[in-house]
Amino acid sequence: MIHIENLRYRTLAIDSLSIGTGVTSVIGVNGSGKTTLLKLCAGIAVPDTGSILIDGTEPRQAYIGWVNEFPDRNFLFDTVSDEIASTLRFQHRPPGEIAGRTDEIRKQLGLGRLSARSVQELSGGEKVLVALAAAMIQNPRLLILDECDSHLDARCMQIINQIIRQSEIPFILRSTQDMETAAESDHLIFLENGRVRFSGTPETVFTGLNGTPFYPMSWKCRT
Amino acid sequence: MKLVLNCAEVTRGDWRLSAQGIFAEGIHLVSGDVGSGKSTLALMMAGLLPAASGSVIREQVSLQMISFQFPEYHITGTTVNEECASWGLDPATILSSIGLVEKGNCDPFRLSRGELKRLHLACVLANQYDLLILDEPFSSLDVCEKQRICSCLSGRSRGITVMFTHEQTIFPRVKHIWEIHEGRLRYCGSPPDGLLNWHHAPLLIKNLIAAGKTPKNITTDDLMEAACVT
Repeated sequence: MIHIENLRYRTLAIDSLSIGTGVTSVIGVNGSGKTTLLKLCAGIAVPDTGSILIDGTEPRQAYIGWVNEFPDRNFLFDTVSDEIASTLRFQHRPPGEIAGRTDEIRKQLGLGRLSARSVQELSGGEKVLVALAAAMIQNPRLLILDECDSHLDARCMQIINQIIRQSEIPFILRSTQDMETAAESDHLIFLENGRVRFSGTPETVFTGLNGTPFYPMSWKCRT
Repeated sequence: MKLVLNCAEVTRGDWRLSAQGIFAEGIHLVSGDVGSGKSTLALMMAGLLPAASGSVIREQVSLQMISFQFPEYHITGTTVNEECASWGLDPATILSSIGLVEKGNCDPFRLSRGELKRLHLACVLANQYDLLILDEPFSSLDVCEKQRICSCLSGRSRGITVMFTHEQTIFPRVKHIWEIHEGRLRYCGSPPDGLLNWHHAPLLIKNLIAAGKTPKNITTDDLMEAACVT
């Protein structure tokens, strides 16, 4: 379980929130605090007060994978292979383990054919897959996807959703502006002005949002 | 007023995009997978990328604008107020329309991604253009803002508007649908008939068509109306 207690950071104020295993989507209008919450859960930022514990461990002590909206802005290396392996290389893991794990994750995400390609030559969807591979290679406890679907087409998103669903990562936390994607999550968190307005299953949260633009179009059009 | 793509081609190594068609006044939606060449075609139509062969002809187009997918490329002001003023607009009017009045003195790069996109689109849509090209106008926007932008676009009374997007659920009322498929721009037609010919149609629209409930157009109201047909 991820437990958030008495959290205060900039405009974000969460008194108590528990996030179970599975895929959790964070939704809300622009500026509601989604990315801020994800950054705190990733340990990129530290709360002014309060705590975030991932199965009892602080974010900066846990293995966490992060994929952002513009993955190419975080790429450090030229080839797909080097970029994927970089996470383990920075941890000074043995070369044999790095090679084996890189090979494994490339196969898992269908990136084998791209190994020698420059990351800059990839399509938007392929860049997200490379960032996802680099994030997943260390078997994180928590994988965070910050609106990485914002620039992807439906086919790319379907592939990414399949990959994260088939992974054994216990906690997957993502922000999205696509309510159809959000509706397929196990849990939803709706943020408003830095506060949690609704939290629970998609049915519970979207019931609270019925009549707003957040209510999924496919649910409105159920035939 | 029209924009004509006359066998216009762009090549990059083995990659090739070929486009032929006439874009008259009204809203045109161009869909395609990531990497299919939507942004490249947008640049070519805006005259920012020369065609390797063929031609792009703008007839009676004297004022044009392209909105890039990434709004930061447009920023010239060091504050949000300055950015609005750089478009020849009154900051108070623009910022009150998008709920950013309190951020007038902020550095635009301190806004959230969605807020920056909102600011940029508000500045773009405050002016009238003969040719308006929008490359992924909905990326980074929340659903409320997407719907507001759709209302603004649907209300545009004149000019050619070409919208490149992979959006799946929220659209303005469009006059023509195009798609890029296997390196070629393809005209699907006007709704509702054009929807039947749209390979990249969102799943929701495909499902409605499969149920015999083809929507008249692709706005939220059109989809809801079609879904409610018994």
